[in-house]
Amino acid sequence: MASNACMPRMGNEAPRSAGRALLLTLPILLWSLLMFFHPGGNTGRLWLIADGITAVFMTTLFFMMMRTRRTYRWRRWFFVSVGVLFPIGFIHNVMAMRGTMGIPIEEMIAGRTPFCFMPIPLLILPAAFTRTIVFPGSILPGGGMSGSGIASMVGLWLAITLVIGKGWCSYACFFGGIEEGVAAVPKRPTIRKIDPRWRLGPWAVLLAMVLLSLGLFESAYCMWLCPFKAVSEYVAARNTVGLIQNGIFMLLFAGLVVVLPFLTKKRTQCSFFCPFGAFQSIFNKTSIFEIKIDQTLCKPCVLCQTACPTMSLSKESIARGETLMSCMKCGACVDVCPRKAAVWHIKGTEVPGEPERARLMFLYAAWAMAVMFGGSIIAGGIATILHFIA
Amino acid sequence: MKLRAKLGYTAAGLTVIAAMLTPFLLMGLFTNGVAAMGLHVDEMYSGGPKVRTIQNGAYSIDIHRPVFPRMLQSEKPFVQMDWKPVSSLPEHVFDLVDVDGDGKPDIRVSFNVPKDPKAPLRVDVEPLNPHYQAMRNAGKERFSRLIVRVDNSILVRVPLANP
Amino acid sequence: MAACGPVLVPSLLTEHAGLRPNARYLSAFLGARLLGYLLFAAVAWEIGALASKLPTPRMPLMGGVDVLLACMLVWYAYSARHICGQACSGSKLVNISTSRDRRGGRAAALGLLTGLSLCPPFVAAGIRAAQLGSVVQAMLFFIFFFVGTSVWFVPFVGLGCIERNQAVITVARMTMALVALYYLSLGVAMLMGKKVYG
Repeated sequence: MASNACMPRMGNEAPRSAGRALLLTLPILLWSLLMFFHPGGNTGRLWLIADGITAVFMTTLFFMMMRTRRTYRWRRWFFVSVGVLFPIGFIHNVMAMRGTMGIPIEEMIAGRTPFCFMPIPLLILPAAFTRTIVFPGSILPGGGMSGSGIASMVGLWLAITLVIGKGWCSYACFFGGIEEGVAAVPKRPTIRKIDPRWRLGPWAVLLAMVLLSLGLFESAYCMWLCPFKAVSEYVAARNTVGLIQNGIFMLLFAGLVVVLPFLTKKRTQCSFFCPFGAFQSIFNKTSIFEIKIDQTLCKPCVLCQTACPTMSLSKESIARGETLMSCMKCGACVDVCPRKAAVWHIKGTEVPGEPERARLMFLYAAWAMAVMFGGSIIAGGIATILHFIA
Repeated sequence: MKLRAKLGYTAAGLTVIAAMLTPFLLMGLFTNGVAAMGLHVDEMYSGGPKVRTIQNGAYSIDIHRPVFPRMLQSEKPFVQMDWKPVSSLPEHVFDLVDVDGDGKPDIRVSFNVPKDPKAPLRVDVEPLNPHYQAMRNAGKERFSRLIVRVDNSILVRVPLANP
Repeated sequence: MAACGPVLVPSLLTEHAGLRPNARYLSAFLGARLLGYLLFAAVAWEIGALASKLPTPRMPLMGGVDVLLACMLVWYAYSARHICGQACSGSKLVNISTSRDRRGGRAAALGLLTGLSLCPPFVAAGIRAAQLGSVVQAMLFFIFFFVGTSVWFVPFVGLGCIERNQAVITVARMTMALVALYYLSLGVAMLMGKKVYG
C-alpha cells in the first residue's frame, strides 16, 4: 500500500484511478479464487457457477470500494445479499432434510439442531458452572443439519471476532442484512425522533436472557425471543407455551426486522434488541480498528449521527471524538461526513493519522472474512436458486 | 513515528495476517480448543451416557444413566432406553426390562413398530418397581416422557416416580 | 440462585451502589423469601401434601403467583423511572431519592413472591416437608433448605461494586420488564390450565 495511494482529505476526493483500484483489489481477487475454487471444495456444475458468480460479486464490490473510496454503500450490497440468500439456502436444506421448518424433538435428541452464533453469550455461564452446553446440538460435526457442530461455530466466531471485533455485525452476521435491506427501501424515514435510551435495549435483553438461561438451563433467547426463527427454523410447538413462543418470534420479526426498519431507516433489531450485538460490543474494546472524529475538522453538523444505522453516535460521543461501543464499523458516518472529520483509525496512532491506510487495512481483514464466511452463504443461496431453475 | 503508533500499525498488520490465517489455522485451532474443553450437551437432550446393554435375541436394549433436572428445568427425572436396530425389532415389542441392573425386572414396556419410519409411535409402560412412572399410550409429550425413533433406534424415556 | 437471579439482579441494580446498601436490600429480600418458605411449609404440612402433589390445584396457584410477580416487576420497573431524575442527566452518579423503608418494602415483596413461586426443587422439598411428623418439623426443614440455598446469594452483594448511572438503571428497568413478560406468559398459561412445559 503506497503512501501516495492516499489523497487529500478535505472536500470531495476524486475517485482512485481504475488501475490503482484494480491493483489494490488483486489480493482480494486471489483470496476469492482460493476460497471458492480450492481443491476439495464444492464440485458440480451448479456449485461452480454459484462460486464463480460470488467470487466476481465480492471482487467487484471491493473494487468499487477502492475506486470510489466509499465503504458503506458497497458493503451494504454484500450484507443484504447474505441476509436474503441465507434463508433461501437454509430453509431449502431444512425442507429437503425433514420437510418442515419446525424442529422435531427427534432432531433435538439426536443433537442435530443447527447451532447459530446468537446463543453463544447465553451458554457461557451454564457451561462455566456445569460444563454443560444447554443447546440440543452436537459439540463436534454431527452430520445432517448439525453441519459443522457447536465447536466449529464457536471457533469461527472467535476467529472472526479476533480479527474485526464488532465488525461481525457488518461483515459476518447472516441475519442483519434483512433489516438493512428493508431500511434502505424508503427515501426518508417516517419516524425521525427515537429516544436514545432504546439503544440500551440489547444490554437489557442480554442480561435477562443470560439470567433466564442459567435459571431455566436452556437457551432462553432461542426459545423465547429470536425473531429470526421466522427465516430459519423453530421448535415445533407441542403445547400452549410453544404456541406463545412461536407467536412472539413472528411478532418480533414483523416489528423489529420489517416494520420499524422501514419506518426509521435504522437497523432496529440490531440497535435496540440483539443481545449478541451487545456482547460483541465488548470486543470493540479489543479491536485495533475504530472510527474517530477529528475535532479540528468537525463542525458539528451531526450528519454522521443521522446516517448511522445503529445510532452509535451521539452529541456527547462526537464531542469526545469517538463512536459509542455499539459501532459496527459499517463506514456510513465516514462516507457521509462532508468535512472528512469522521475517519477510520488504528488505535495508538494520531487522529487523523493516515485514515485511508487504516481503512485499507481494516477492509482487507474484514473483506477476507466476508468472502470466507458470507461469500459461502451467498454461493449456497445462488446454488439453491440455480437448482430450482435448472 | 511514536512507539504507540508503531505498535498500533504492527497490531493492525498482525490482524490482517490473522485474517489470512483464519480458514487455514485459527478456525481449526479454536474449534479444537473448544472441543477439548470437555463440555457435553445437556443430558436432558442427549439422554445421558449409556451404562448397560441387554441383549435380546436379534436386538439389544441400551440402558442410560438416569437424568436429573438442573436449576429450574421443569422436566422430571427420567431414564432412557434404546431399542436397536429397528430393522431387527418384531412388529410388536413386549419386554420386561431390568433398568437398575439388580436382576429383577423393573418395568414392562410395550409398543408397536410400524413399517413406515415416519409413523407416530406410542408406548405403554407398566412399572413393576415403584421408582418408575406408568405411561399409557404416550407419544412424544415431553423430554422426560416419550417414545421416538432416532435413526436406527427407538428411544423410550420413562420418568422416575420418587427421585 | 438461578431461580431468583432474573428477579434479584435487575432489582439490585436499581438500588444504591455500595456493598452495604446491597447487603441490606438482599437481607430484606431473603428475609421475605424465608417467610414465603415458612408459609408454604405450614400449608403443605397442614393439608398433607395434597396441594403440592395434585397438579390441578397447584397449577392455578403457581400461575397466580407468577402473574403477581410479573405485575410487581412491571410496577417496580415503572416506579424506578424517578430514580434518575434531573440530577442524573449527564452525570455519572445517581442520587436515589426513595426512602429506605419503601426500598425495603419492595425487596420484601419480591422476596416473598419468589419464595412462593414454587420452582420444581422447591416443590420437591415441599413434598418432603409435608411427609414429616409435625408442622414444626416441616418449618425446620424449610429453614435448613433456606439456609442451604441462601449461601449462594452472597455473591450478589458484589453487584454493589457496579457504579450506578442512567445507563445501568435503564438497563435494569428494561431487564425487569422482560423478565416480567416471561413470568406473565407462564402465569397466564398456567391460569388457563394449559400444559406449560414439555
